[in-house]
Amino acid sequence: MLPDLATYWARRSRCVSGSGMLLKFSGRLREALRPRDQLFVFEKSSGRSEAEPEHLYLRARALLRAGDMPITISLLQQACELDPTFSDAIESQGEALDRLGDSAAAVAKYDLARRIRRRARLGAPDRHFVWRQQKRSAAEILAYTSVIKSMRRHALPYLARGNAYLVGGQSELALADFQRALKLQPASLDALALKGEALVGMGRYHDAMKLFDRVLSARPADFDALNSRGIARMAAGRIEDANADWKRQLEVLAGKSAPSAYIALRMADYDTSLPHLMRALRANGSDSYWNLYASAASLRLGRPLLAGAMEDGDSWPALLTALLNGRATADEVLARADTPSRQGEAQFQLGILAFDRDRASARRHWQQVVEVCPPTLVEYAAARNELARPGI
Amino acid sequence: MFSVILYGRNDTHGYNLHKRAAISFNAIAEVMSDPDDEILFVDYNTPDDHPTFPEAIHDTLTDKAKKVLRILRIRPEQHAHLKSKTHLVALECQSRNVALRRSNPNNRWILYSNTDMLLVPRVDGQSLSEILGDVPDGFYQVPRFELPEMLWEAAFDRRDPAGNLAKLREWSVRYHLNQVVQNFMPMKYDALGDFQAALREDMFAVHGFDESMLLGWHCDSNLAARLALYRGRVDTLIDKVFGYHCDHTRVAAANNKGRQTRMNDQDRYIWNVTSPYVQAQAETWGWPDVEIEEVRLDRDTSYQRFTAGLNAALEPATVPYTTTSLEWHLFDDLTYEISHTLPFVCDQMLTYPRSSSIMLVATRAEFVERFVKAWKAMGFVGPVLVPEECEGLPDDLLGLVRGSAAEFLTQADMFIFEFGLSTQRANECVRIGRMRGAKDKARLDVVERIFRHAASMESETRPAHRRLPRRFVGVNVIYNKYWPLFTDYIAANINPFCSQVLAGLPRADPSIRGKVLRFRGRHAL
Repeated sequence: MLPDLATYWARRSRCVSGSGMLLKFSGRLREALRPRDQLFVFEKSSGRSEAEPEHLYLRARALLRAGDMPITISLLQQACELDPTFSDAIESQGEALDRLGDSAAAVAKYDLARRIRRRARLGAPDRHFVWRQQKRSAAEILAYTSVIKSMRRHALPYLARGNAYLVGGQSELALADFQRALKLQPASLDALALKGEALVGMGRYHDAMKLFDRVLSARPADFDALNSRGIARMAAGRIEDANADWKRQLEVLAGKSAPSAYIALRMADYDTSLPHLMRALRANGSDSYWNLYASAASLRLGRPLLAGAMEDGDSWPALLTALLNGRATADEVLARADTPSRQGEAQFQLGILAFDRDRASARRHWQQVVEVCPPTLVEYAAARNELARPGI
Repeated sequence: MFSVILYGRNDTHGYNLHKRAAISFNAIAEVMSDPDDEILFVDYNTPDDHPTFPEAIHDTLTDKAKKVLRILRIRPEQHAHLKSKTHLVALECQSRNVALRRSNPNNRWILYSNTDMLLVPRVDGQSLSEILGDVPDGFYQVPRFELPEMLWEAAFDRRDPAGNLAKLREWSVRYHLNQVVQNFMPMKYDALGDFQAALREDMFAVHGFDESMLLGWHCDSNLAARLALYRGRVDTLIDKVFGYHCDHTRVAAANNKGRQTRMNDQDRYIWNVTSPYVQAQAETWGWPDVEIEEVRLDRDTSYQRFTAGLNAALEPATVPYTTTSLEWHLFDDLTYEISHTLPFVCDQMLTYPRSSSIMLVATRAEFVERFVKAWKAMGFVGPVLVPEECEGLPDDLLGLVRGSAAEFLTQADMFIFEFGLSTQRANECVRIGRMRGAKDKARLDVVERIFRHAASMESETRPAHRRLPRRFVGVNVIYNKYWPLFTDYIAANINPFCSQVLAGLPRADPSIRGKVLRFRGRHAL
């Protein structure tokens, strides 16, 4: 049976072993001794505390390294109880169990971690590659922080850690890492583009646009930068310019279905988007958003809903699809719209639904999208394009 | 489900390469269960007159391995433009990209490994296809465990992959083989290049391996760095599969010179990588416009082609044996037996590209007729170019083209010079003191003049698409008066008289004599 944390600490306070020292040093003491140490950047950001899953994970990894399996597993278990979707912690449990010889239990943990990652929704396929990554990246932040401690004069670890911060929503930390990488590799257009992504994440669209201009003047066909500049331009109200970037991005992509579908949706160009959506739906039917967006595009074009639009399931996109085919009400949908993004998605589909019978209502819904939704979302750009059309 | 990409060449890379590779090919095939699975072996820069590496060891491969194995042959001519930029004879990034470009598009995964690896699913009976079919999109690696040379060399049976995998499962516990060597991210493990599984789609998106890495080493780490940026994670399959490496450090491989080993720059290619993409090669990676020969071991093999050629050209012998003689007083006797010699001539051809064109300069009509039959039946599609200066030879055979020698010199990919007696009858005894007549002499003089000229002017007359010297095959040039002539111009080995055939590339003799010979040759026509 695994010891609980209190027993462990009581035991360790009498006899501090190597792993106990590591545990201590992985917490407040180490922070006090080395306040500028980047290792504990979890704590510095967003007011995170020791009770948070990432912190427990961090300590557990230090102990795993020291070979103290029982307490490692205990800490990881606590992290997973706090956040059952913390796949890095679950996988680390698997590693610890495997090293203890319990391979069957280890495999179960690894499989669970993979199922969680498989279920996680990645970023839009038309966006910069960094936004298409898994959003939880505690393991990467920890790993690259460790690399940086040995290699301070090389760009890769800063970029890799910056990416992890960025997708984890910590744009300020990402920006710091990208700036450091740029100091080391001043000519890197890729680092410059990533800095632009961090600025987009922070809402500094004008600053971001300047960086993307520099990237695109050197690499006019850089489809990642084209998409990002389009988003920044759209957020700044430069609708025509944004659409010009996305049109160019469509040309560069040369017919790749998934990203092309999203780009055309951003431009509210449903005619272009629908065939791409149908192809993407056939290739990856497990992503309910393809069904949702294909249904929305059909409806907006005045065509009948897709035969496969009657999707079962309790997922958020399935609920939105149910709204389009009349099996869910606006109230039901709005009741589950618990984030600005979801509110924006819901309002956009309500606008689609209203378009044929009540243009003013559609306009109101799309106006709501622009007010609540992050500009990076496809619905934001689509709503702005809809609103810019005469007669809406 | 997955394409395994391996590379190498028919040489001696480290100790007991043949056994390691056979064990590995068979073991990898053993854990494949999807009909689309394939092993792509890029045979890089094996000399044209050698078979590819898997062909050389085909008898040690299982039927399953032969079935899934596709050999992509990159010729020395295709490597020639890179030769001056590297000390290596086989290039990893180019090889792996050529295979990636030509991999089965139905497969979701590309698995990069090497020809000394055994992949052991941790659940007995599970295939790697099932494992990779079950895991989410990502970039996966496994740690490499070392296998002492004594174990794989002494105890493994090349053709019993299931038994070998079972032994590994037992040894790993009994002899404590399984030690994970952690490494900095993004590498994650040491020796990561022996198991890197990436989505085929991702590999195309990042433009494959970085082909500017020409000095060896760190290609795998560069890929890890770029895919780590692209995917955001480096995942493990350690819970599903173990990878064992047949240790081969008893003799250092050609690319291992201890601390003096030349390598790709780690800083440039790992720690200062800033992009997953290699924009400079976005349109060219994997040589999309280069025609790469594909060789199979389960169909249309070299042996099948060889026998098809000879069956078309020769009738079976009607006597137990025939005789000839190398006695010195027969030095001027140029009679020889075509039926016996032709197999050795065909043997010189078979490893060359099927599209090759060959210039055949001969005296005996029967030789030309039989050779052309064999050439076509062996699957060659290039023409047989016979100079019109050579009289008395057929000109109406399918695939045979007549024209001037000077014109053909600029078109041929290789040459055959046959020094026989045009008056020799089919049933005549050979090497019994026959002297040549005036007609024989006239025709031999033509062959000799064209030979001297072709050998001396080889580099100047080389077709525009070729950078490397062309091969010369001499027929009936051993222990007779044309032996000195042929070996004056061609760097041929000493061969047994019985074959009557010598072959090699033009000699670059810097001596006065060599220069005089070449001067005479240039003005021979």
